[in-house]
Amino acid sequence: MSENLYINKSNEVYDAIVIGSGISGGWAAKEFCERGLKTLMIERGRVVEHQKDYIGENKAPWQQPLRTKVDNLLVKEQHQIQQQCYAFTDATKHFFGNDKDLPYTTAKNTNFTWIRANQLGGKSLLWHRQSYRLGDYDFAANKSDGFGNDWPIRHKDIDKWYSHVEKHAGISGSKDNLENLPDGEFLPPFEMNSPEKVLQAKFAELYPDRPLIMGRTAHLTKPTKLHLSQGRVQCQARDECQAGCSFGSYFSTQSSTLPAAAATNNLHIAPNSVVHSLIYDEKTNRVKGVRIIDNDDLSEREYFAKVVFVCASTIGSTQILMNSISKKFPNGIANSSGVLGHYLMDHNYNAGASGDIEGFEDEIDKGRRPTGLIMPNFYYKPDAKRNFLRGYALAGRAYREGWQSIQHQDGLGVEYKNKLKQAGKWRFGLYAQGEMLPRFENKMSLHPTLKDKWGMPQIEFDCHFSDNETNMMIDAAEQAEKMLKAVGLNNVQSRVMHGPPGLAIHELGTARMGRDAKTSILNAYNQSHDIPNLFVTDGASFCSSAVQNPSLTFMALTVRAVDYCVKEMNAKRI
Amino acid sequence: MTKDQKTLTDESKRKFVKGLALLVGSTAATAFLTTKSMSVALAHTIESEKTIAVEPLTDGKVFSLNQLKQLKSICAIVIPKTDTLGAAEVNTHGFIDNQLFHCYDKSAQEKAKQLLSLINVVAEKVFSQSFIALKQTQQFELLTELDLGIKNFSSTERQDFKLLKQLICFGYYTSEVGASQELRYLAVPGGYKGSIAYEKTDASWGSQGLYY
Repeated sequence: MSENLYINKSNEVYDAIVIGSGISGGWAAKEFCERGLKTLMIERGRVVEHQKDYIGENKAPWQQPLRTKVDNLLVKEQHQIQQQCYAFTDATKHFFGNDKDLPYTTAKNTNFTWIRANQLGGKSLLWHRQSYRLGDYDFAANKSDGFGNDWPIRHKDIDKWYSHVEKHAGISGSKDNLENLPDGEFLPPFEMNSPEKVLQAKFAELYPDRPLIMGRTAHLTKPTKLHLSQGRVQCQARDECQAGCSFGSYFSTQSSTLPAAAATNNLHIAPNSVVHSLIYDEKTNRVKGVRIIDNDDLSEREYFAKVVFVCASTIGSTQILMNSISKKFPNGIANSSGVLGHYLMDHNYNAGASGDIEGFEDEIDKGRRPTGLIMPNFYYKPDAKRNFLRGYALAGRAYREGWQSIQHQDGLGVEYKNKLKQAGKWRFGLYAQGEMLPRFENKMSLHPTLKDKWGMPQIEFDCHFSDNETNMMIDAAEQAEKMLKAVGLNNVQSRVMHGPPGLAIHELGTARMGRDAKTSILNAYNQSHDIPNLFVTDGASFCSSAVQNPSLTFMALTVRAVDYCVKEMNAKRI
Repeated sequence: MTKDQKTLTDESKRKFVKGLALLVGSTAATAFLTTKSMSVALAHTIESEKTIAVEPLTDGKVFSLNQLKQLKSICAIVIPKTDTLGAAEVNTHGFIDNQLFHCYDKSAQEKAKQLLSLINVVAEKVFSQSFIALKQTQQFELLTELDLGIKNFSSTERQDFKLLKQLICFGYYTSEVGASQELRYLAVPGGYKGSIAYEKTDASWGSQGLYY
């Protein structure tokens, strides 16, 4: 990396500005840089250097002052919201936002958990790394039942871009030849343990249309020459990913896209730069650049470019658009349709079932596999007989219980200690990941009066799961329970919960794509219908949530948009 | 640490280094070994057995000196010394005092103190002595009754004791001795294997990634 990678003030007119350095921003920067465009990546938070800044990495619990837990006082003052995330621990807490500085509100009788990762790399450092393509039934779902608008693309439009990102990022998985979960360019899948193999066979026998497959995940199970040349090596199965991985074994901006972008010498990064709004020139109908509030000293500055890619996360990107007001766009830039902020979605994780597996006492697994199994959505074909639309996937894994489960038993002394020392019974569960319908009334907006410390209007969420999502979760719990019993598990218990949206951390929608400029913000290439040199390529652009973890699709949409944008620039249409 | 355990650790480290060269090729391995990754991989040299100060000498952050002494006796009963050190020898009582102060609310702290008082009250009632003055067999008997919620103890008190047991277990199995000597600790497993042989006398895994 060149020494002057990081900049503060600059009068240069860059070829491209990329707002955000997470999964989408990292890809946008890499693709622009590799096409020879001078690119400025803008990050609102601090710099996090690969390896050097993974300060919580590889620390044993006894090397941590509170044995992996976080001090109450710190949680209370800074992380009341963030601590709800499963990955919030002492080793990872510095990669989560400070809630005190990042306030937001929710409409009466609603709740929304907003997880933040405002540093270089964004949520690419914290993500769960599950990587799935969307299938054609997913792209056609809105059209088929009338909720939301039709995606302007199908799998064939994005197929080669999925391949492009899969090869570089490194996605492990098995080729399963499923109708609605297209295979990709996979590294070998992680191994199943013995109970999982047996359950997989039983499911195949009893439920041939509900295959159980290894989770597809952005980990290097067998790095290619390309990965090794980037300094990335094979996954060591520590399962401490969110603390940062010096092995570069999982995909993050730091391990994968940033080094590639920096190697071109076309990249500059402006860290600690909170984007306030986009600078719009009404005469040319072009975005000229961005207005910045300094993260630390709150001073103002501007950056300029020929095109602007907004990759600031679903909520972050839309917040910037909404705060970019002009005579032509009084309700947010690129919002002539009026749908900006609407059709907010997340995934619904509110159901599951689990039980005991008999046998397999003379074996155990070794290492901590950073993925589980998945039973992909088996309801992808519409069926009026169900009392809900769309469907869900079920995720799970088999594991032997350890002291954390056994400790609840009665007992004391040597006998108790010996029981805790041994591996316990095998368990298996299936947990739902349900689609959420796109609805106009589920929305984010700028609060009319409240602002944050940078002077940005706070976000107000008005978003809730509907009866459709609740009915789906009831079905998921029933199906999971039924199937686990059928494949021979004991003590099967299912449950339905009622958590609010947000905590799946799959915020989607609010600046959707579409064929019709009157009802959508972006066209089929994530380009603003209204302003040709403005693109939004992250989750904000989604028309429906589908069931799959969305990050791989952020990547593919982003690289496809850059390819299109550069061609348009070369053709002088931008 | 026993000699066997030390050998195991060294062996797994050697295997890891050798495996890395196979994985990335010798040229890449040389470059890689100089980065932080390697120091990370080798961070888990288990320190030679060190003396942990376990005898309470002053009041703690939550508990009084006497309560800490009583808690130490309870730790020794719940997870005693066997081939490996027990909960009291690795200062689990000190851990609990600190953890309750930093990671739990006032009501949890009060509940823990009340439970200790209750144990003393029942000890006085049944044996006419405070809990720490009892013989170990008497302590064991009394705590077993509490653990089952029988005789002098209610089901609510039983639940409160389960919470204390959880703190003892958490403290012990996240200590260096508990996680890496009583159980098996793999800092860098080197990959995932779905199945290896396991005998009933084998220790389970003490390493759990981020999720304790």
